[in-house]
Amino acid sequence: MSWKVPKLIPRSAPMILLVLTLAAASGFAAVSHLVTRYTLNQQARGRKLYALGLTYANAGNYNEAINVFRAALTCDPTNSQYQLSLARALRDSNDPQRLDEAESYLLALWQRAPQDASVNLALARVAAHRGSIEDAIRYYHNAMYGVWDSDPDGNRNRARIELIQFLIKENAHAQADSELIALAAALPRDPAAHLQAARLFEQAQDYNGALAQYEEVLRLDPGNDDALSGAGETAYRAGNYVSAQHYLRSAVSVSPNDVQSRQLLASADLVLRSNPFHSHISDAERNRRITAAFDQAEDRLISCAEQAGIDLNATDSPSPSPLVGLQARWLLAKPDLALLRSPAETDLPDAIMDVVFQIEQQTSTTCGSPQGLDLALLLISHKRETLSQ
Amino acid sequence: MSDLAPIADPSVPASVTRIKVPRRLFSTIEGVFNEEVFFLILCVFIGIFSGLAVVCFRLAIDWTHLALLGPLPQSHSWRLFVVPSVAGLVVAVLVIHVFPGIRGSGVNQTKSALYIFNGFIPFRTAVGKFICAGIAIGSGQSLGPEDPSLQIGAGIASALGRQLEISREKLRLMAPVGAAAGLAAAFNAPISAVLFVIEEVIGRWSAGILGSVVLSAVASVVVVRSFLGSEPLFRIPLTTFKRPSELLAYAVLGLVGGLASVVFAKSVGYLRPRLKALPRWTHYFQPSVAGLLVGFIGFLGFPQVMGAGYDSMDQAMHGQYAWKILAMLALLKIIATTVSFVSGTPGGMFAPTLFVGAMLGGAVGDLERFYFPHLTGSTGTYVLVGMGVLFAGFLRVPMTSVFMVLEVSGNYEIIVPVIVANTFAYVVSRWLQPVPIFDLLTRQDGLILPSLEEEREETILRVEDAMLPVPTVILSAQDYVDANFHRVESSAEAAFLVRMHPSGWSTITREQLQRLYREGKGELTLASVLPAQSLPSLYPDLPLDSALRYVNDYPLIPVVNRADSKHLEGMVSRESVFKKYERRPEIEVSS
Repeated sequence: MSWKVPKLIPRSAPMILLVLTLAAASGFAAVSHLVTRYTLNQQARGRKLYALGLTYANAGNYNEAINVFRAALTCDPTNSQYQLSLARALRDSNDPQRLDEAESYLLALWQRAPQDASVNLALARVAAHRGSIEDAIRYYHNAMYGVWDSDPDGNRNRARIELIQFLIKENAHAQADSELIALAAALPRDPAAHLQAARLFEQAQDYNGALAQYEEVLRLDPGNDDALSGAGETAYRAGNYVSAQHYLRSAVSVSPNDVQSRQLLASADLVLRSNPFHSHISDAERNRRITAAFDQAEDRLISCAEQAGIDLNATDSPSPSPLVGLQARWLLAKPDLALLRSPAETDLPDAIMDVVFQIEQQTSTTCGSPQGLDLALLLISHKRETLSQ
Repeated sequence: MSDLAPIADPSVPASVTRIKVPRRLFSTIEGVFNEEVFFLILCVFIGIFSGLAVVCFRLAIDWTHLALLGPLPQSHSWRLFVVPSVAGLVVAVLVIHVFPGIRGSGVNQTKSALYIFNGFIPFRTAVGKFICAGIAIGSGQSLGPEDPSLQIGAGIASALGRQLEISREKLRLMAPVGAAAGLAAAFNAPISAVLFVIEEVIGRWSAGILGSVVLSAVASVVVVRSFLGSEPLFRIPLTTFKRPSELLAYAVLGLVGGLASVVFAKSVGYLRPRLKALPRWTHYFQPSVAGLLVGFIGFLGFPQVMGAGYDSMDQAMHGQYAWKILAMLALLKIIATTVSFVSGTPGGMFAPTLFVGAMLGGAVGDLERFYFPHLTGSTGTYVLVGMGVLFAGFLRVPMTSVFMVLEVSGNYEIIVPVIVANTFAYVVSRWLQPVPIFDLLTRQDGLILPSLEEEREETILRVEDAMLPVPTVILSAQDYVDANFHRVESSAEAAFLVRMHPSGWSTITREQLQRLYREGKGELTLASVLPAQSLPSLYPDLPLDSALRYVNDYPLIPVVNRADSKHLEGMVSRESVFKKYERRPEIEVSS
């Protein structure tokens, strides 16, 4: 069986070219029609698959979502939305091997639209998954300053908050603090937003920043119990025990069942009552506080040594415990207590309290966190250190 | 039965003899277009038609795949082995009863058209490839669309050439021109397609050939991109090559790829003739059984081996598979492609070759990085290099393999790793499998086509190989005949070179000199009695074949220096040239 193609083309060059051109044009038209119909068909199929994929992704079933998004992409390979959704599903599937592919899709999208905030945010999240601080900051910033389809201000704040949370998680507190300062400057007059910012400051260990935000919340909503307890706690952590006492007292009065505030308030009260370096106390009161602290330090030393099984009299041991040395220092300082009333001994309170602080710090290392007056003395010692630094 | 259609088709000789040159066509267009210009314009149209056909072919494959297997086949689905086996049965019936010429490699059929059938490729073959390869690949047989695209392009070009009744010389070139267009459209890579056709099909470079092939390839790619977009076949990941010491890792990949190429080629070479030799009734079931096997592999959890596998290559490039999976996929793809191809199912081996190379590259790369964590190349880099490695080792097209990787990746940073790995793969493959796969298939079909690899590797005899030393006696055309006669008396030579004034060479035999002397022309200068035209000169580096044109006309031919044509390097005589050819071992022409 042989197929013979009939001779269709005339024998003149211009005619040949004309016929070929017409044939090519007809071919283009026919193939164009075919491709258009096929593409429309495929796009419709892709849309159905995409909707199914979104359902899977929203339900957290990322493996199924990935398969379905891939199928949607085989129907409409250049669809940016499908690529973005597939990339997100790949990223969120918690499979480190899939991050490369997610990033590849996103980079392709990014090259096409570098200003697209959604793509930059997705890339930032990939970088965050990888723990790459530099890339994450770059893409989060691109997202913040990029083009959002809706609610640009809200989305920008959310992106910055996400970046701050990532930086806090990565212990990049200085960078987180920079972002928090920028965030605080752009916050609306909304107590909830300031409350969130305050908590982020707190997580970034910027207690003064956090206190400022809690105070802003209290300006907008004076009875906000979260802000009262938060302000009290951050003031306490910052060593500002007067403010802590003020806010915690208010918090406890607003929420009597707030156990943590109550504990912190008790601790702050004790710190304020025991601090011999407080500026508004008499000399007699200062001496009384120093004597009480000195006695408390001895009790703490003995009880800690017992708890740790350390013999405080074993001075000839080849590797004596630090507690043994501290007891010697305590014994050495004890006669100085009698000299506290002497106006010539201006350095003596510091010297005695230095022994007390060393004992409290060493015992907290050896025997764990103290309670009551010991805790107050330890906090006072930290505050003194901070001030001296 | 041979896989090459024209042999099996009794109409072929008749078709070939219909071509008469020169034809009326060019007499009517004389003064408007010469044949060269017209041919180049024709090449653009071939590119356009091939591009359109390849667009339709790709749609046909995609549509078949969607209709039969769904958008994304999942393992453990009954469809995976039912569809390819039933489709295999349909394809077998079509191949045996309707399109008997479409079995086998399109590359070889195009070469046959060029070297044996005066550019004739039956149009039916192109149509048959379109239909049967579309069904086979769409149903999941482990074959690629590039080789059928190549043959569809060649078939369209051949049909157009016959319609226009162009000269036999041009008609022969039509098939490769169409093949380049088809391949370029399928790969979306015009440079690789042009190089492949020049390297594997035509085997020679000339401005005319290159121009026509480039025009058609570019035209077809433009057409395909206008319909299907300019997206590359793969999303190329970040590829890196930082330290030269890492070339060792790529060399290892080349060695492994070379060995895998040999296994692949030997499997095809061993099984194909044995399956063809089975009783005819089994030919109805061979594609079906192959489909069943391929589908079973997919059913067991490796659906990636089904079809061309570009999506899986893309995923491998982005580190989606662990090295064990990659190695398994490479092995299973070799098995699946071997059974699909040797069963006579129409389809090509370009995409499977890339697939095997990609998976092998990823596996070797991951393994190397496990033991040597300082290696900076990403999985994607090794996957890309691996593709080129198998191309070089299995298809044995070293130049195309390098450019293909560069063109597909658009990244020249990895050119050195690609060259190193491909070279190792090529050398290993050539060492362990001397006959390239395309030549092997041709020989199994009982044809002897020029092996372009052998031609490339063949040692060319040059003029310097047959060159005699500078003679002791060189005559001067300005001297008298009797003086020259006395100078040659003591020499035993039969012929002498004569230095002409101011430049050039001539020759004279002892006998001629004696006759002139006897005729009393001793007082004449040699210049006055010798022909005014100088002898042709040769250069030492010229192929010895170029001396053959002159050795019968002149007893001696001077060999001169290219920088100074007055400086004589030596000479060749008929005897010295023939002696060199006699010493040459016979070129093996059959397996």
